[in-house]
Amino acid sequence: MNYPASLQYSRDHEWLSQEGDIAVIGITDFAQHELGDVVFINLPEVGDQVTAGEAFGDVESVKAVSDLLSPVTGIVAEINEELLDSPELLNDDPYANWIIKVEQVTDTEELMSAAAYADLCETEA
Amino acid sequence: MSELKRTQLYDIHVAAGATMVDFGGWEMPVQYPTGIVAEHLYTRSKCSLFDVSHMGRLLVEGSERVAFLQHVVSANVEGLLPGRAMYCILPDEDGSAVDDAYLYRFEEDRLLLVVNAANIDKDLEHLAKYVGEYDCRITNISADWACIAVQGPASKDMLMTLSSGVPVTEPMKNYVNTVLLEGREAKIAKTGYTGEPLGYEVFVKTEDGAWLWNRLCELGARPAGLGARDTLRLEAGLPLYGHEMGRDPEGVPMPVYSAPVARFAVSFAPQKGEYIGRAALAKQYEAYQRIMNRDDSDNSALPRRIQCIALLDRGVMRAGMPLYKGDRQVGWVTSGTMVPFYKAEGEGLESVITEEVMKRAIGMAYVDSDIRPDDEVEVDIRGKRIRAVIAERHLDTMAPPFARPIIYGYTLAEHAPEEGSRLEKAVRLIGKAADNHEWRQRRCINLIPSENTPSRAVRLLSSSDPSGRYAEHKTVKSFYDKDIFYYQGTKFIDWVEQQLVEEMKYYLGSKEAETRVTSGQMANTAVFSALMDFKNRLNRKVTPKRLGYVLNNHIIKGGHLSAQPMGALHDYIAVDPVTEQNAIVNFPVCPDNIYKIDVEETKKVIAEYKPELIIFGKSMVLCKEPVAAIRKFVDEQGIKTTIMYDMAHVLGLIGPHFQEPFKEGAEIVTGSTHKTFFGPQRGVIGTNWDEDDLKYELWETIQRRVFPGSVSNHHLGTQLGQLMAAYEMNTFKDEYQKAVIANAKHFAKALAARGLTVEGDPAMDYTETHQVIVSVGYGKGAEVAERLERNNIIVNYQATPDEEGFTASGALRMGVSEMTRFGFGSAEFDKLADLIADCILNGKEVGEDAAALRDGYTAMRYCFSDEELGEALDRLAGMLR
Repeated sequence: MNYPASLQYSRDHEWLSQEGDIAVIGITDFAQHELGDVVFINLPEVGDQVTAGEAFGDVESVKAVSDLLSPVTGIVAEINEELLDSPELLNDDPYANWIIKVEQVTDTEELMSAAAYADLCETEA
Repeated sequence: MSELKRTQLYDIHVAAGATMVDFGGWEMPVQYPTGIVAEHLYTRSKCSLFDVSHMGRLLVEGSERVAFLQHVVSANVEGLLPGRAMYCILPDEDGSAVDDAYLYRFEEDRLLLVVNAANIDKDLEHLAKYVGEYDCRITNISADWACIAVQGPASKDMLMTLSSGVPVTEPMKNYVNTVLLEGREAKIAKTGYTGEPLGYEVFVKTEDGAWLWNRLCELGARPAGLGARDTLRLEAGLPLYGHEMGRDPEGVPMPVYSAPVARFAVSFAPQKGEYIGRAALAKQYEAYQRIMNRDDSDNSALPRRIQCIALLDRGVMRAGMPLYKGDRQVGWVTSGTMVPFYKAEGEGLESVITEEVMKRAIGMAYVDSDIRPDDEVEVDIRGKRIRAVIAERHLDTMAPPFARPIIYGYTLAEHAPEEGSRLEKAVRLIGKAADNHEWRQRRCINLIPSENTPSRAVRLLSSSDPSGRYAEHKTVKSFYDKDIFYYQGTKFIDWVEQQLVEEMKYYLGSKEAETRVTSGQMANTAVFSALMDFKNRLNRKVTPKRLGYVLNNHIIKGGHLSAQPMGALHDYIAVDPVTEQNAIVNFPVCPDNIYKIDVEETKKVIAEYKPELIIFGKSMVLCKEPVAAIRKFVDEQGIKTTIMYDMAHVLGLIGPHFQEPFKEGAEIVTGSTHKTFFGPQRGVIGTNWDEDDLKYELWETIQRRVFPGSVSNHHLGTQLGQLMAAYEMNTFKDEYQKAVIANAKHFAKALAARGLTVEGDPAMDYTETHQVIVSVGYGKGAEVAERLERNNIIVNYQATPDEEGFTASGALRMGVSEMTRFGFGSAEFDKLADLIADCILNGKEVGEDAAALRDGYTAMRYCFSDEELGEALDRLAGMLR
């Protein structure tokens, strides 16, 4: 598994990258591997409110549907529209393919470093 | 997970990196590292292996094994002949399913019942309640035998590599066989749970399981897990116990008939007696019939049915999601996911499966019975209503070797309307017809064995005056069987028909001939109708009995379509009440030459079935038919039957160089007059009974079933042309037939010498007829035939006896008769073999060479020359100008 040191990680297997005022959010390598082939994704719309610890969308694999849990509270600034047509990009490279960008962030969950997250995944696997 | 059971192949799955899950108490691979989508697609395009050793394998033995099974399963076990398998349901008294199962009869005296893994204990408990009443025992042999499902277009090739080329089963679904795979015993069934037209389930001894798995992987198969097994079966519309069978989301038992497969899996044959659930199933069946006839007046026995469903908007549906039509809940999704498929481009046989991966959200649903295909519903996906539609099917398996996705709403492109006024269209039509005539008659080499070009005299006569006339006539007893015509102006055609009958009797070597049938198919229909009428002639007060048993050549083994239940036999063949299948048996073929009837095995079949009709004849025909040997056998055994030879393809070869059917003991010969015979497109019937023979009445019946039974306008123009063709044939047959058979043998050897794979026995120069069959690779027949057409060589693609059907054709069928008539001899067939080999093996363009070869041979042989016919022909030709 690959967990880039430049990113921060949530317990719900999302990664977060801070680009100025904007929080860029995606799913981790561990998450895409557990999901299996991603075949569909439901995304919020730009301007929607997201809340830390709550679902902002869902991602479907062949096997099952899983909620996407937001690590931050804020307003959706941008969504990765490419994923709507090609959700399998999340399997190909979960870090290059971010899911949403959030602005006006007012709250953030407690996040982990790559090393701490790797330990968590080890225990869950 | 230590308490979970493991199959014989557990270690292999773990070593391959599979994700293992608990499935019905078994630790099974749900997917391998490639993932479900890749596994699904690899199954559809190549071949996947599925470990199905977790399923329960129950051996049923004992003298009352069939009676026991008749009581506990829904299907008619007496219809399960040794060497076959069938799907069935274990019903409960309330008409719901305890389980669904597959029943295999590898041997006469042991039946193998394979049940769902999660239900083994429940099933054994259920069966134990009844088995004590029978001399029968059930043994769970699951631990002794591993089972691997080998599914996908390349599966057959891989298994045949291990069997050293021996066909592993007959090519039809549900056939089973026991073969050696590299020396190890394997019980193989042409069955599966993926919808693949080519798929097998292979049972091997436990100790051989890992070996077989690894060998198939070495040959290119890849492992697939339960995830792909589920998406594949869902796409194929196959039910899964616990989803489409068992109990609905509210815990209510689902009637067996709610699953579409029930139609095939449930029997009400009287010999099944009062089997478990019969009464409830019978009520469901009545409701099913009403529903299928769009009568929803009483759906109480079958309130909901399982149907395919496709999403129209974006999303994915999952099992358990409710379905709505407006405010009314109409059922639930029972299975649903997003399924991948390879996009196809182009249409029909020429469509190409690309590597572009597409996806679609499909499922199965348990919906109110008044909801029918094309009805729109809404799926509640986590609170959102998403549009969906009931679909007929998600997949079609009738074009082997590939299963084809059926995308809801896809339609073929419409043809552009023809431009211009009707006069302009008329002129264009004539121009196109002239172009076609020029191409087919001067530039292209025709090797279709069922076609010919009639001589100029035959063609002129066929289009002369009688072509627009009627001449209905029948013999009337009151006038001592004088033929009475209904219309005036028919004296000429009366004379023509009398001449034609005499010529055809002379040609066939028969006592009688009927020439009014306008095709070989009509000839067969009239004969079958007459046989049935004759059978019932002494009691007209009851519905007539159909024919059965009938012995014929199976269509896959080259049998003529016109002698099949799907062809002319359709309305005349009985259903055997014991097997509930058509009362047809097929000629066994020689293991070392599948184009030849196995006489000794045929005798056994005749002794067992006592067929009332034996039909010789084929449309893929390389060998003589053993008419004399079978005649001798039935006479010696005193078996009452009628021997018919459908000579469609070989009518023009009757004589000492091929076969003389009546001398050999045939009683009826039918044929079409335009294949190896010289005539326009018509049929003929000959019989050989004397007037004092009991069956002479059958001959009279045949005449009545021709007119007024089959035809009132018997195409007088071509009947006139036919008389000229008969004159030609009776004059030139000796040299023509000798040349055709010599050319076919020479052509076959020439093609083989150039590296092509010629079917048939080399010891007889491959063929005894006008036909030559060349193998070009499984499923490649249509493509190669199309390439040859572009190169001015016309053949037809053909499925060999080992292949599943016309879309899987791996061979070309060629006939030499037409080109023999145009003067081709051994030198020309050598040149033609060069061109064909160059085109097929070397990919060369040979169209101009083929046209040049053809252009030197446009004069018709084996007919009277224009000079010989002189002024008479000129006069007729002038009138028709």
